[in-house]
Amino acid sequence: MTLLEAERRPAVRPPAKPVPGRRRRNPSNYVVLAALIVLALVMLIPIVIVAFNALKTPQEYSNNGPLAVPHGLNLDGVKAFWTRVDYGEKLLNSVIISGTVAVLGVILSILNAYALGIGRVAGRSWLLVLLLMANLMPQEALVYPLYYLSKQLGLYDTRYSVIIVFTVIQSAFGTYLLSSVLVAFPRPLLEAARIDGANRWQVLWRIVVPISRPTIVVLLVFFFIWTWNEFLIPLVMLISNENQTVSVALGVLQGQRLMDATMSSASALLGIIPTLVFFLIFQRTLSRGITVGAIK
Amino acid sequence: MFKARKGAALLATLAAVTLTAAACGGSDSDKPAGGGTQAKELKLWHYEGPDSAMGVAWNQAIKEFEAAHPGVKVKFEEKGFEQIQKTAPMVLNSKDAPDIMEYNKGNATAGLLSKQGLLTDLTPQVTKRGWDKLVPANVQTIAKYDSRGVMGGDKWYGVPNYAEYLQVFYNKDTFDKYKVKVPATFDEFTTAMDTFAKKGVTPLANAGAEYMAQQYLYQLALSKADPTWVSNYERYTGKVNFHDPAWTYAATTLSDWVKKGYIAKNSVSIKAEDAGTQFIAGKFPMLFSGSWWFGRFQKEIKFDWGTFAWPGSNMTLGSGGNIWVVPQGSKNKDLAYDFIDITMKKNIQNALAANGGVPVAADASAISDAKTKELVQNYNTLAQRNGLAYYPDWPVPGFYDTLVSQTQKLINGSASPDKVLGDLQKAYDGGVPK
Amino acid sequence: MAYLPYLIPGLLLFIGVIAVPFAMNIGISFTRWAGVGTPEWVGLHNYRELVKDSEFWASFRHQIALVFGMSLIPALIGLVLAAMLTDVIGKRFGARTATVLRACIYVPQLLPIVVAGIVWSWILAPDTGAANKLLQAVGLGSLAHDWLGDPKTAMWSVMVVMVWFQIGFPLVIFMSGMQRVDPALYEAAELDGASWWRRFWHITVTQIRPEIFVVLLITTIYSLKSFPQIYVLTKGGPGGATNVPSYYSFQNFFDKTQVGYGASVATVLTAITIVLAVAFIRVQQRTEVEGQ
Repeated sequence: MTLLEAERRPAVRPPAKPVPGRRRRNPSNYVVLAALIVLALVMLIPIVIVAFNALKTPQEYSNNGPLAVPHGLNLDGVKAFWTRVDYGEKLLNSVIISGTVAVLGVILSILNAYALGIGRVAGRSWLLVLLLMANLMPQEALVYPLYYLSKQLGLYDTRYSVIIVFTVIQSAFGTYLLSSVLVAFPRPLLEAARIDGANRWQVLWRIVVPISRPTIVVLLVFFFIWTWNEFLIPLVMLISNENQTVSVALGVLQGQRLMDATMSSASALLGIIPTLVFFLIFQRTLSRGITVGAIK
Repeated sequence: MFKARKGAALLATLAAVTLTAAACGGSDSDKPAGGGTQAKELKLWHYEGPDSAMGVAWNQAIKEFEAAHPGVKVKFEEKGFEQIQKTAPMVLNSKDAPDIMEYNKGNATAGLLSKQGLLTDLTPQVTKRGWDKLVPANVQTIAKYDSRGVMGGDKWYGVPNYAEYLQVFYNKDTFDKYKVKVPATFDEFTTAMDTFAKKGVTPLANAGAEYMAQQYLYQLALSKADPTWVSNYERYTGKVNFHDPAWTYAATTLSDWVKKGYIAKNSVSIKAEDAGTQFIAGKFPMLFSGSWWFGRFQKEIKFDWGTFAWPGSNMTLGSGGNIWVVPQGSKNKDLAYDFIDITMKKNIQNALAANGGVPVAADASAISDAKTKELVQNYNTLAQRNGLAYYPDWPVPGFYDTLVSQTQKLINGSASPDKVLGDLQKAYDGGVPK
Repeated sequence: MAYLPYLIPGLLLFIGVIAVPFAMNIGISFTRWAGVGTPEWVGLHNYRELVKDSEFWASFRHQIALVFGMSLIPALIGLVLAAMLTDVIGKRFGARTATVLRACIYVPQLLPIVVAGIVWSWILAPDTGAANKLLQAVGLGSLAHDWLGDPKTAMWSVMVVMVWFQIGFPLVIFMSGMQRVDPALYEAAELDGASWWRRFWHITVTQIRPEIFVVLLITTIYSLKSFPQIYVLTKGGPGGATNVPSYYSFQNFFDKTQVGYGASVATVLTAITIVLAVAFIRVQQRTEVEGQ
């Protein structure tokens, strides 16, 4: 009756091999292609606008408006933003926080999912809904209590506080996704390993984790990007500039009364680039991961 | 199996590396501030941009402070307005509070925190160092709070360094082009706007999504009001009725102006930054806004421009600027007082003026630039005649959002002036401290 | 029971980070409190106010529109796009073309929401915005509009932006699901002379039903937590026309410093979310049982 069993599916079939003669194209195919290319370009327009404005001088922006093409390459806005907020430091903070959350969140998801998906602990579907609550809760509701708790523990204004909170929040989704995969895990493999004398701990790390690797990679990527873009809790918990993350620095400057639009765009551009690079690096692994493992 | 093990090893290494990095990184914020008695540190926060008048002047103050206090280092951090607005109560209630910081004036901010005992009472220092003699009475209101946390009280919880007020910025080139002369009376003002509107030019720039629209509304009300009215509204000293002549005049006039094309109907979703840049680009002949634009206009505007006070009104929006506060948890209170003292000195005040700011203790004779001199003189005149009437969103926490949304309704015509005033009354009455 | 130890770290952290704070939040919802100082116990007062609060109920109506903009419409478009990319582009023009197109459509998901909000307010700006300029350029100047400023179009504009932002997620998940569908099913249908739409409906949609459920659940929950999107796009305006419960609770927490009231809004919102999630999972189970 559970959600987990509902997710259970037959094993993966090999991806379709192109059959000879399949590649014949008729005119309607080209229409579809053209439509999708136009759509893809439309999706990218906003990013192009950001890049344009990041490269303008403030005067050029005031006189020609936000949508004009820049006359030349003006990196002053980018440079000014970089030094003003000490962007290198923010970048390091974001990488440390998002990276740690991604890794710890995945480990926590694996442990939870092992117990729920393979161990089939009693009452697992209710446990799963309970854990999923971490993801369901509106974050505003957590802010004041988390502030008081972290102050009691001496974790206020440290990166630990944010790392712990997001490890739990992200792992809720990870547990949900991973346990639905593990329910369908081939039992004979587990039994073979037990016969060879491996204990549960060894089975987890030597059999289950390696085979679920594609899904784990997907989770790593998602957790990293999601944590990178988080705003409210880091804003409240990371008070010192030396602990701040990229998205807090971005958000805070956007709210400034006299922040000119070119510097806003420059900051935006610097804010997009890291996640974009990260995504492009993992894009191949991501597609393979989702294809093979994610949701069966 | 080999590949699989490599993957697990990679994961483990990654975990170890990031964990150590987090551990190293996290610890430096736990270091005690100051580190003993030898090398002292003054932790200072403010949220003015480095090129703004305050940013420049305060930077100079930091240098002077360090020169006057050998062995003390100022640890300055630039913050964001929103960030301080949202998190100040939490920060000041923790051991990570700075020694001195810039904070927003008003009942919902400085007032609330003074009531909760999170700010130091500066009254003894103020009298000892004579700051009360430098700050005009009209400006002092925002620095002093009573036991309910209402401004205009008896105890100083902050010290303002600069002031701000609103006036009409106008484009002389456009005025000449349409042969409009600078209005001296309210009638001339309406005639001027009419001339522009008939030629298809919207005379007033506006930003309905942010503070500008409500400032038009409040200014219109002020032109029919007196200081008692202001005190009743801002300091709860008497009954406030949004259906009184002043507010009714304001709401009907504003909605009338939209109909006549003095203010664009589609300015509802515009942000202040965009309205400002549109004025810079010469798209509007006039913009009614604060002295905070002054420095930027001087730098960026290419045409000939000038300013005039809102015609036909004794009072206008304005007040002391944000204030220096010393948190109760400050570890170096004496140093913090010394720093405030330096920012009140003549040369720092003049530096403020030289960069387009309005210093509280202004000395107009020391300023050479004609426009700046006019800016400071106008302020002196206003402050002397109690002409600074604060801002409409101050009396009630969250009233800013209410005013934005109600003026939006007024401008796009989705609610009548009467309905808007009624809703404002409801929000005001619901939020006023009992 | 032997697997129970593996759950201990997860449960302990959950209690510390989620359960205890949520209990505290419920506690706060029974008080009047400005965020500092001692909260004043007011019992059910906040909840009684909530029932009467027309702004709160209006925000729920806007929430329903947002579920369309952030969940149903993107899922629908994502489904069609995924089918086109897998079926037409992937098969006729090669997997690489499909991957590149998918990446382009996914990119908005990578943008920090603050950035996305600012860019869209430029595009939708009444005088200088690209949307109106474009309409004028193609001779439809009369349709130019103050998109985010008119209460009649504000919510629609927000929905369009949300669709743009959200499509990538269902697309990626659905495409991966379609890889799993047995090609033999399609071949058999093709031999039977079934049209593309029939194949799409009877094979693709039926086969990837689990993914459709996951996507709908996750994005609906996401739309309930849409405070940042509203914050950067409209701040709930004009005149409250785009306010949603999560932004309303944020306003009470941080702008009005009515933390107790904000906490009661957040508590109600959480309760609704949980009921929704449980109901959803129930329906999902039932459909799965029927499907087998």
